[in-house]
Amino acid sequence: MTLPSSETYDVAVLGGGSAGLAAAVSAAREGARTVLLERRGRLGGMGVDAQVHTFCGLFHPDVGRGPKWLNEGLPREIGEMLLERSGQSGPDMEGRVFVLRHQPTAFARLAMELCEREPQLDLRLESKTGAVRREGELWTFDLGRGDGRWSVKCRALIDTTGDAEVAQSLGGAFVQTAPQGRLYRPGFIAKWTGVASGLTDRDRLTISGEIVRGVREGALPAAAMGATFRNSPEGGAVFVSLDLEAGAGDWNPLDADCVEAVKDEGRAIMTVLYQWLRESMTIFAQMTGPEFPERLGIRESIRWRGDHVLTAAELTACARFEDEVALAGWPLEKRETARGPRSEYFSRSEPAGIPARCLKNSELPGIFFAGRCLSCDHEALASLRVMGTCLATGQAAGRMAAAYAEHGD
Amino acid sequence: MPAPFTSDQILELLRDNDIVEGASALTADSDLYLAGLDSMALMQLLLQIELVLGVQIEPGEITRERFSSAGCLAGFLNERSKRAA
Repeated sequence: MTLPSSETYDVAVLGGGSAGLAAAVSAAREGARTVLLERRGRLGGMGVDAQVHTFCGLFHPDVGRGPKWLNEGLPREIGEMLLERSGQSGPDMEGRVFVLRHQPTAFARLAMELCEREPQLDLRLESKTGAVRREGELWTFDLGRGDGRWSVKCRALIDTTGDAEVAQSLGGAFVQTAPQGRLYRPGFIAKWTGVASGLTDRDRLTISGEIVRGVREGALPAAAMGATFRNSPEGGAVFVSLDLEAGAGDWNPLDADCVEAVKDEGRAIMTVLYQWLRESMTIFAQMTGPEFPERLGIRESIRWRGDHVLTAAELTACARFEDEVALAGWPLEKRETARGPRSEYFSRSEPAGIPARCLKNSELPGIFFAGRCLSCDHEALASLRVMGTCLATGQAAGRMAAAYAEHGD
Repeated sequence: MPAPFTSDQILELLRDNDIVEGASALTADSDLYLAGLDSMALMQLLLQIELVLGVQIEPGEITRERFSSAGCLAGFLNERSKRAA
C-alpha cells in the first residue's frame, strides 16, 4: 500500500476525549469531511484512561424539578445511551447536583460506535501530530502513525487535546495557565472489583472511620484520607478516587517524569488502602483486585486564550450571551488541595451561557477549541472542565468548524 | 480533654482546620451535610476530634445522625464519655 503524501479534510479534530468525540461527530453530522486524531489506542480521554466514571454538568442546575438535560444534541444522546446501557433509570442526586455514573469501558465502546456510524468521519487512533502551521487557506500539520508519516491539511481545526497543544505550537500569545501551586490537583481512580454489594451510606461512614483508624495506627498514610468511593453502575465493583497533593507547587501536568512520579504515588497509596479495607470490612473481604488507571485524572493544565475569557463572576451570575453556543450548570468545583473540593454554586438555580468567543480566536481563523482547554479563567474552569460540559462545548466547536469549512465564517 | 464537650468546640475544629466551607457562619444546629461534610471532610473531622479533643471514635459508632450538626455531635461525645465513666 502506498501512503498518500497528504490528505485534505474540511475539519480535523485533535484529541479524542469527551470534547473531541462530540466535536468530530457533530462536524461529520453537519456534512463536513472530518478526521478525528487520537494519540492513544482508544477514545474517551479522562472518562476512559483515568476511569473518571461520572459525567457531571449534563443536567439543569435546578434539581428541584428532577433531572432535565441541559444541552440538547450529543450531550443528551450520549447521556441517554450511557444510562440505557448501564441499566440505570436516571442520574444520582449527590448533594445539590445530578451526576451520571458510567462504566469507562462501556463509554469507550460507545465512543467507537458513534464514530463508526458517521460515513463522513475517519477515526485514526495511535496518531501523533506535529506542529500546526498555516498554508494558504488551509491549516496543516504532520501526522505519524506507526511507520507512516504524511501531512494533513484542513480548512478548520479543533483543539480538544486538553492541553491546548495547538496553541502551544503556535506561540505564547494564545495560551494561559495558573501558577503550579494553584492548579487543580490530579486524581488517581482505581476500580475495585469483587465487592459483595453496593456501598450504602452506612458503609461509607464506616469506611471513613476505618481510614482514620488506619492513619491513627500508622498503617495508612494521611493521603489515604483523600479517597472517595462510588458504586460502579454495573454492580459488584466500586470506583475509588484519590485526590493527590502532587508535590503542591512542583506539580506540572505537562512534565512526564512528574506525572509518572505522582502516578506511582497514587498506585502505592491505593494499594495499601485496598489491603487495609479488605482486611477490616467484610463487604470488601472477597475483592479480586484493584484495576489501576492508564493515566492520572488531570483537571487543569494549559488553556487557550480566545476572543473572550469566560470568568467565574460571569458563571456565578448566570450570565447569558448573544453568541452563546452551550450551557454550563456545574458548580465551581475547586480542588486546589487534595483535602476535598470547595464548591461554589451559581447565584441562582439557572445555567450560564458559554459564548462562541471562548471557542475561537479571531487572529487564527478556522481554529476552534473546546473541552478542558477552552478560553476561561482558572476559577471558571472548576465548572467548565467536567465531561458533560466538555461534550457540550465539543459539539459547539464541531458545528462552528463545519460552518467555517463550508462558508468561511 | 474531659467532658462536657460543647458544640462550640466542634465548630472551632471545623473552622480552624477549614474542614467545611463557610464554617464561621455555622451554628450548633446547622446541618453539617448541607455545609459540605462529605466523606473526606468527615475523615478530617474525626482526626481532629482525636487530636484535639482526645476522643477516638470507632468506625462502628459513626452514624449519619450523630454527625448531622455540631450540637448532635457534642451530645454524642458527652453521652459516650458518661457511658465510659
